[in-house]
Amino acid sequence: MSGNHDHDHSHGHDHDHPGVKPEDTSAPGRYELMTLAMQELLIEKGILTPEKIRRGIEALDSWQPSRGAAVVARAWTDPAFKAELLADGNAAVSRFGVDMGEAKLTVVESTSNVHNVIVCTLCSCYPRGLLGLPPDWYRSKRYRARIVSEPRKVLAEFGTVIADDVAVRVHDSLADLRYLVLPKRPAGTEGWSEEKLASIVTRDSMVGVAVPMPSAT
Amino acid sequence: MSATETAPFQPLAFQPGDRVAIARVNPPGHRRTPFYVRGKIGVIERACGEFLNPEELGYGFTGQPRRRLYRVRFRQHDIWPAYRGSTGDTIDVDIYEHWLSHLPD
Amino acid sequence: MAAHRDGDPDNTHLSSAREPGRGYHDIGGLPAGPVEQDMTETRPWEKLSVVLGNSLGIKGAKLVRTDEVRRTREELGVDLYNELGYFERGTASLATLLIEKGILDKDELEARMAAIAERMAEEGR
Repeated sequence: MSGNHDHDHSHGHDHDHPGVKPEDTSAPGRYELMTLAMQELLIEKGILTPEKIRRGIEALDSWQPSRGAAVVARAWTDPAFKAELLADGNAAVSRFGVDMGEAKLTVVESTSNVHNVIVCTLCSCYPRGLLGLPPDWYRSKRYRARIVSEPRKVLAEFGTVIADDVAVRVHDSLADLRYLVLPKRPAGTEGWSEEKLASIVTRDSMVGVAVPMPSAT
Repeated sequence: MSATETAPFQPLAFQPGDRVAIARVNPPGHRRTPFYVRGKIGVIERACGEFLNPEELGYGFTGQPRRRLYRVRFRQHDIWPAYRGSTGDTIDVDIYEHWLSHLPD
Repeated sequence: MAAHRDGDPDNTHLSSAREPGRGYHDIGGLPAGPVEQDMTETRPWEKLSVVLGNSLGIKGAKLVRTDEVRRTREELGVDLYNELGYFERGTASLATLLIEKGILDKDELEARMAAIAERMAEEGR
């Protein structure tokens, strides 16, 4: 494989070719070239347009954990919304402009008795519309391999120690479901606004490797 | 389900609480039931709806008939003999109906 | 900095293909080391690789299905699967699928890759 793992990013090159511009400064690897070549050929064949690709990049950039955090904060403050979110995730998040497409959003609620954590052992399924692209560790083989069989140990590596009397529930999402953890609302956040609550809901807490900390603000 | 779509694969649906066995088979090809639960016993936690069969979609077929998808809950100690954790710890896996068979209670 | 793009030092040893009937991608429960939590920035071409797949999918041109790309990823072969990073696997499996479907031609793709490499070299990359 290419030796282009470590390098600096430098932006601002000008290229007179349609679509996304290569912005790295290192020599391109085989799979960067393959991606750029596919882009050009698909545009030339009239299958895609630079406009569609640009819009796709914009959509991807708009997928951020803040969207998931807003959903969680609403669920913490609005019982009717929480009920809908747990019953029909797709409908509930569509109110936030999130389109789950064909996937079925399944929200799992962590409580005083249950701590949920999600994984996709076969590939790296992830609720991208709510959390963005998955972090490196979520895609890593070590996480995929271990979180199912030794979840408490992996969680401890993330600094999350679950008490023995709390059940750890792992969810392996494999094809058509996408999971989001609805973390337990931490004590000490009574009376907080939705916005302030959302500020403590991290990506990791919605995957379930962390819990929201009221002291984080 | 619209009128143009076919009926589900199995006439008999599983109900929450049903004990089920996961098929102990390792067929080649695109499969969505992970190796670690094959041949294991779990409990239907809930029905998740009907979906085009991903194991057919993977090869460009229509995915019809739709298959029911279930969330099956396994006790961690039943899956991993050396599991270190509480007895209440579980793993929930999404499994299609054609991988499941009923077990007596 | 992690030597592997995926923060995935177990890329090779975690191959499960030696177990009969088990896909090399089907790794749940295999022993492995501590999860590396370092994060890397997603590069422009990596985002593009995701967007190409999305644009060709069910919400776009409707030419590919998620499960088809999963299937070609599971057919990359264990060596390539273990060698490549996450986005590289995605691009490799999408290209394989487009070639399989006759949407792209393998030689055409390789020729264009060579042309782009030459162009980028002239432009200082």
